[in-house]
Amino acid sequence: MTAIVLEHYAALSRRSIMNIVRQPIAIIPSLTFPLLFLALNSSALARAIELPGFPPVDSFLQFMISSTIIQGALFGSIAAGSDMAKDIEGGFFDRLIATPVSRSSILVGRLAGSFVLGFVQAFIFFGVASLFGLNVAGGLLGMVGVALIGATIAAGVGAISVAIALRTGSTEAVQGSFPLIFVFLFLSSAFFPRSLMHGWFKSVATLNPLSHMIEAARHQVIYGWDTSQWLTGISIAGAILVGGVVASSFALRARLAEKV
Amino acid sequence: MSATRDITIGLAERSVKLIPRMPSTFVPSLIMPIFLVVSFSGAFAGLTQLPGFPADKMIDWVFPMTTLQGCAFAGVTTAMAIARDLDNGFYDRLIGSPAPRISLMLGPLLASVIRGMIPLTILLIVAVIGGANFNGGFPGLGMLVICAMSISFIAGCWGLGLAFRAKTQQIAPLMQMGLFTVFFLSTAQMPIQLLTGWIHQVARFNPITNVLQMARQVSLPAGVTWATTWPGFVSLAGMAAVLGLFAYRGLLKIVD
Repeated sequence: MTAIVLEHYAALSRRSIMNIVRQPIAIIPSLTFPLLFLALNSSALARAIELPGFPPVDSFLQFMISSTIIQGALFGSIAAGSDMAKDIEGGFFDRLIATPVSRSSILVGRLAGSFVLGFVQAFIFFGVASLFGLNVAGGLLGMVGVALIGATIAAGVGAISVAIALRTGSTEAVQGSFPLIFVFLFLSSAFFPRSLMHGWFKSVATLNPLSHMIEAARHQVIYGWDTSQWLTGISIAGAILVGGVVASSFALRARLAEKV
Repeated sequence: MSATRDITIGLAERSVKLIPRMPSTFVPSLIMPIFLVVSFSGAFAGLTQLPGFPADKMIDWVFPMTTLQGCAFAGVTTAMAIARDLDNGFYDRLIGSPAPRISLMLGPLLASVIRGMIPLTILLIVAVIGGANFNGGFPGLGMLVICAMSISFIAGCWGLGLAFRAKTQQIAPLMQMGLFTVFFLSTAQMPIQLLTGWIHQVARFNPITNVLQMARQVSLPAGVTWATTWPGFVSLAGMAAVLGLFAYRGLLKIVD
């Protein structure tokens, strides 16, 4: 990889991150919605931790925090696709590809923004929850581990939303895909332990990779640092990232072919 | 008087006809409660094991709540259509016509109630398929229907009040967030006796708690009793009066 390509990566990543910094209003929903869910569920379901079979937690807050981080990462990652669609709609994408910029940097720049946002958001969520008595058994290492899982899934889902943006060129289409993410999250063990589910819902939650990723992150918070659990979580997030990058690369190639 | 009635019915008819013409504006509000009843019934099934939980199956606890939510969203989507009319100037033409002013509000509110029947019917079918118990029988079903229609009307008032003030479709997220928050700050997920801390206090004074208690008589083993019915009626009447006034005052702001 040449130095000039690395420069392109850095420039477009910086642009993507600066977009977030300059428009903090755009990330408010991805911060406030998960925090609202966290506040409501932690209070409303506080007694649920007394159920036999519930993981040994101090509070429902300790159970929920990992789901909140993943939820925030998923919500925020849609911005990558929306921004790409806006670039296409506004003509910036056409101007960009008219330059000799490295094609892969168009994707890398967007995904870097999602990754950084996912990582920073995780620490904001940890910070807010700590004010309400959250104890992370894994300590700082556990928090970094969970934040890395959150950042990786943010980049992965960001890549999928970029693929949708490149295929459709429409902000509405990207935002319309948001409920699908919501469905995957609700059909997982994000809000309740699998050990207390039964029937078809438990089967679906078990098949849903998000369940295993969230449980791996949750393990660091409830039981302490566990490398094998963390590797499970980061592998699932990494696999989604690889899938997203492949999908967005094909979509980018198809869009560039249209322009030739 | 007949002009008020005719225009009210005409505007309601127009709003209902928008459903097949622009399904994208209504369908999401229908899918969301169906999804919530399925996911909440499955994910939180274990809560029924808590001592003092009043339902044998989670779906018995969840489906009246999601039905009311679906009806509330039906009311709000009607108001969103009015916000769009205000945005694109159609409502200005209505104001410029000799139509009685009150009919410009009553039409959408009638439409809210009619549209609310769609989620009510579909969620009842989902509940039957999902194996919910109907311990309250027909009287309990009647309570659910009264609550559902009233909530459609009340949510319509809330949405119209905001739409008349903001005069833009961009107010839509606030309409939805308001409803979402007021529902989840009640006994939406857990019964009042199992709520602790600040949410217990908030839920106690949230009128939606009483409405949910009234609506849940359709499925919970206790069936229909006057003690669980009258607070619901009082809450519905209070919300309808307050939010009806909120919508009416909003209407006056744009017609004066």
